[in-house]
Amino acid sequence: MTLVERVRALLGADAVELAGGPDAVPRVAPASPDAVALLLGTARQEGWRVRLEGAGTWLPADAPADLALTTRRLDRVPAIEPQDLSATAEAGIGCDLLRQQLADRGTWLALDPPGLAGRTLGSVVATATAGPLRQGFGAVRDHVLGVTFVTGDGRLVQSGGRVVKNVAGYDLTKLEAGGFGAFGVIVLVHLRLRALPRADQTFVLEGTREDLTQVAEDIIAAGLQPAALELMSPALARREGWGLAVRLAGSAALVAAEEAGLRGASGGRFTALRADEAHGFWMRAAESFATRPVAFRTGGLPDSSDELLDLLQHQVGDEWVSASPGVGAIRWAGDTTVDRLRRLRRTLAGLEVPLTLERAPWSIRSAVGHFGAYREGVGPLIAGLRRTFDPGEAFVVAVEGSE
Amino acid sequence: MITAGLVEALAGIVGARHVRTAPAERVTYARDGLPTHRRVPAVVVLPGSREEVIAVVRLLAAHGVPVVPRGAGTGLSGGALADGSAVLLVLTRLNRILGVDPKNRIALVEPGVVNARLSVAAAPHGLYYAPDPSSQTACTLGGNVAENAGGPHCLKYGVTAQHVLALEVVLGDGRVVELGSPGGEPWGPDLVGLFVGSEGNFGIATRIAVRLLPLPRAVRTLLADFTSLRTAGEAVSAVIASGIVPAALEMMDQSCVRAVEDSVYAAGYPRDAAAVLLVELDGGSEAAVTADAETIQSVLREHGARSTRTAADARERERLWQGRKKAFGAMGRLSRDLVVQDAVVPRSTLPDVLETIARIAATYQLTVSNVFHAGDGNLHPNISFDGRVPGLKARVDAASTEIMEACIAVGGTITGEHGVGLDKLRYMPLIFDAESLTAMRAVRRVWDPEERVNPGKVVPVHACREWSGIGTRNAERGTRNPIAPSSSTFPIPTSALAP
Amino acid sequence: MSDRGGFEALDACVHCGFCLQACPTFLATGDEADSPRGRIELMRALESGELAPDDPAVVVHLDRCLGCRGCEPVCPSGVGYGRGIEAARALLATKRRPAPLARAALWALTTPGPSRIAYRLARMLRATGLPGAVAGWGRLRFAMGMLAATRPVRNAEWGVRSPRVTADSARRTPHSALTTVLLFRGCVMDGLFSHVHDATMRTLEVNGYAVREVPGQVCCGALHAHAGLREEARRLARANVAAFGDGDGDEPVVVNSAGCGAMLKEYGHLVDEARFAARVRDVTELLAARGPRPGAPVDVQVAYDPPCHLLHAQRIADEPYRVLAAIPVLRVVSLPDAAQCCGSAGLFTLLEPAMSRAVLAPKLASLRTASPQVVATGNPGCLMQLGAGLAASGLRAAARHPVELLDESYRAAGYYA
Repeated sequence: MTLVERVRALLGADAVELAGGPDAVPRVAPASPDAVALLLGTARQEGWRVRLEGAGTWLPADAPADLALTTRRLDRVPAIEPQDLSATAEAGIGCDLLRQQLADRGTWLALDPPGLAGRTLGSVVATATAGPLRQGFGAVRDHVLGVTFVTGDGRLVQSGGRVVKNVAGYDLTKLEAGGFGAFGVIVLVHLRLRALPRADQTFVLEGTREDLTQVAEDIIAAGLQPAALELMSPALARREGWGLAVRLAGSAALVAAEEAGLRGASGGRFTALRADEAHGFWMRAAESFATRPVAFRTGGLPDSSDELLDLLQHQVGDEWVSASPGVGAIRWAGDTTVDRLRRLRRTLAGLEVPLTLERAPWSIRSAVGHFGAYREGVGPLIAGLRRTFDPGEAFVVAVEGSE
Repeated sequence: MITAGLVEALAGIVGARHVRTAPAERVTYARDGLPTHRRVPAVVVLPGSREEVIAVVRLLAAHGVPVVPRGAGTGLSGGALADGSAVLLVLTRLNRILGVDPKNRIALVEPGVVNARLSVAAAPHGLYYAPDPSSQTACTLGGNVAENAGGPHCLKYGVTAQHVLALEVVLGDGRVVELGSPGGEPWGPDLVGLFVGSEGNFGIATRIAVRLLPLPRAVRTLLADFTSLRTAGEAVSAVIASGIVPAALEMMDQSCVRAVEDSVYAAGYPRDAAAVLLVELDGGSEAAVTADAETIQSVLREHGARSTRTAADARERERLWQGRKKAFGAMGRLSRDLVVQDAVVPRSTLPDVLETIARIAATYQLTVSNVFHAGDGNLHPNISFDGRVPGLKARVDAASTEIMEACIAVGGTITGEHGVGLDKLRYMPLIFDAESLTAMRAVRRVWDPEERVNPGKVVPVHACREWSGIGTRNAERGTRNPIAPSSSTFPIPTSALAP
Repeated sequence: MSDRGGFEALDACVHCGFCLQACPTFLATGDEADSPRGRIELMRALESGELAPDDPAVVVHLDRCLGCRGCEPVCPSGVGYGRGIEAARALLATKRRPAPLARAALWALTTPGPSRIAYRLARMLRATGLPGAVAGWGRLRFAMGMLAATRPVRNAEWGVRSPRVTADSARRTPHSALTTVLLFRGCVMDGLFSHVHDATMRTLEVNGYAVREVPGQVCCGALHAHAGLREEARRLARANVAAFGDGDGDEPVVVNSAGCGAMLKEYGHLVDEARFAARVRDVTELLAARGPRPGAPVDVQVAYDPPCHLLHAQRIADEPYRVLAAIPVLRVVSLPDAAQCCGSAGLFTLLEPAMSRAVLAPKLASLRTASPQVVATGNPGCLMQLGAGLAASGLRAAARHPVELLDESYRAAGYYA
């Protein structure tokens, strides 16, 4: 029996799409978590190499593999609980669809990841790609209450739960959020929600990077707590100069007070965007990261943002850069080479700043790796965790580079 | 094996006066904050520096002796107890705040630093450390990291895991690893997140970098009282649904209110109320907090609050909070023994769950006092009893199990912030299947292949399945655990004992 | 008196640990066995017989307790730690005699005959100025520093300008209805701090109290009780109750030593004399009840360090501040962790010098930062401990009783003219 026949026998004829990717790797779309487990259990036995896909809009579907496992049929939302501000969704649901369903129930997932609107929830969680809202609402992991995932040898494992506070057992959820699929394929996610903000306002200020960096510092020093405070390169902000975008979200009273504070801290120089303008502004910025071949993020200290932007400009250019100076995170997109990325990661490591490669063609990410420059003793831990969750090395994930 | 030679070698590292072997001294370490569990350690060691910690761990690794880390011993799950085969490693002397970086809002501390002392040290910079477990005046940050501690203000600001940026950890074999970066972005998978809450099973944190937050410029603390527990529970849901996230939303029932009002921490809670809610709003702007507080106040009144009042000044606010935070300790006024639960339920189920708990208490004729983080749905039913009465403890255990089952039935979990430790080991198979428990155990063995750091906690090993790498290695040692096909084989006393 | 001898006061402990950071010895060692919770565990084991009262590992940790009772006001369950530790010490005393040094000190300081001679010798030595000159950190030199600290201090010595007496306000307020109070003289206070007794009487009289001396009174027994000599303490207690009139007398008994005051207020538990105990007042309580009357300005910076037996045992917190507030211009600087013990604790400073100094060290560090001219505290042991510590660490500040400062202010106001 061929691989395709085996899988069809296992999961049904409609689970396999032939000639799925450009490289003609058969694409398998299991319709349930159990089907994912069944497939991966078989993969382990057969020694198949499996690459993971969501909607195929973020990481390129180009890793060499015997089959591609896509979560796109895992698109149910079993529970939205407005009173508990929690939801349970399957990993293959598109973020745009989920957002709509949540909004219909008056709730909100305070994440604005880079990429196209239809990116799957699983992709966002597995790559831990938070957007500008990380300033006010934290990293991806802070929104995930629990996950169910399937290991490389087909075991279905649950971690966390659907309540907002939970310390029962080790927090395997943290390993899955940002694990890039190396420790299992996420099939189900329990989410922490917020009430849909009663007021949501975006303000933009255009200027030089130096000027805006100072304004951002003033805003933080003034004790304002914006939902987002993002310094964007001209191309991203679609302005002549750099843009500093401030998003305020919450109760009407809160937003009004923060707006007054913002005026005070900036001398009233910001321009308020209309709701549709604001929506378009943030969406276009997020989408821009999916239009360049390479994207990465760095995590430095807040007061090193400016220095890191200089370094990026010098080493890889700064056409597509977005920084959250309040938290020290920077996202970069563009075209670059393996050598430049390796050099940059080394330089940054010397500054105690990790670089995580978020997306790139296989040729680059297999060489550079999503991660690298581990601190002493960390490599063996990660290798041990990979062996634990993927003993047959079924998942094709470029965890570390080939350097 | 703990030999005289080993004790001598320990004394060589930390100094003889920091090694305790006398029975009387070891007995003082036999319990933590949940005194129903008692285990006397073989040896107690109090190192004074990270170098000493590393040397002690390496020595114990070479001898294959189990080691149990302990902070202030205020944990509520029996998590920091060592038995006669193990060395208890007490970290209270590692109590230096190594640095505060006000610009980046970061502090670097040793594990024995007391939670509240960090906020005191940060205050001159206008900063504080947000997670505030009720024991914050005594508990250590190392313990907070091990347990992923919570606290009233975690409703808005998140639990310990959200505030730990980087760690230096000594693994069970004595290797030292650095996890995370001061900016909070991991160097790979989120090993800091994985470590926090691992209850000492993954290693011993020797240095901890935490995030500090700016002190809120405006704070309002409201006290609302209710004539029924159900109404109070419904008011909690209404507040959550209002879209305003309070900094804290706490509930106390009548029995708890009375214990507090009888104590030195009397806060002026109405003694005749069936329940009181303590709600705090904070933020950067006085006007916004005032407006939000007014909204919350009307929500509370619309949902059945008999009366509401706002703390007039910082002093009254402090008094309202002290009453809440010392409520657990005040339970000693009700009876000499106490068990406390830590279940979390979906917030919308609070009214039903509270009634169920009251019914179980009545069935078993026990005094159950509730004091808990209502905004998170994190219940703390306290059962007061006199352990000297024959048969009473068995009744308490049966009632505890029944309460836990009721919480799980509505989609809850067995612990929200106290940890599993020894106390909740028996409940783990109620919420995790054998596959998931086995996965946890396998992860533990990546960090600590010999399962020698804080042994016997968190994962009930006999409920685990065979898993690559685990079964075989244990088989070689001749201690292979029976393979449990499913959680149902784990004996849990589900049927209640007759009261 | 219950048949469990005081151990029952420990029953309420639920092991929450909220006491740990309030315990000076735990802060010094980080060892549970040196914490209130750990000692309660030991005491419970003593009562149940699980541990023996002659077990050296029990004895060392119970001996190291300062008895400051700093754990009591932070205990949500209201554990009676002080009563527990005295019960435990009484039990230990059944198996051993107090240390020779303790017995010698008790004999020399508290027995009427010998103590008169001892105090006279001490005052003679003090007058030579030698103790002040040799004060330092060694055991003997620290003791010399303690003795030097008992000396009445003149303003010029610590850099404070003596206020000028203003004659126009120099008039005692005539009080038509004077309240009669009885002065408790004590042993160390009487032997070495008679100037504080004088100041106590003068300031009370300005505030409308008539102070009467009571013959036949003896040492309060606190040092004996702390040493586990409970029967001796009871004997002294009964003598005092008899001297101050147990049946008909209802005049307040005024005490200016926090340690003695705490003990006298415990007579209800010790010898079932609750009526007497209820009459006992610290001098600052009586003064604060009358305001007290403001005096003349004294330009001085003062750190108030509450004695444990006033703050924790008697729960008197505000009254000493109100006494200081009656002195215009005087500035009170705040001491972080002021509520922590100074390590004096009666004979503790002599018997456990290492632990005592370890407990004193953080106090001196915060005094160095606050740099006051005077450290005010209302207990002879604390005055001596702090005075010796200040001298040994080269800090230019004097330890004085709060009523001494008020007395100074009243003198300047001319109230005594």
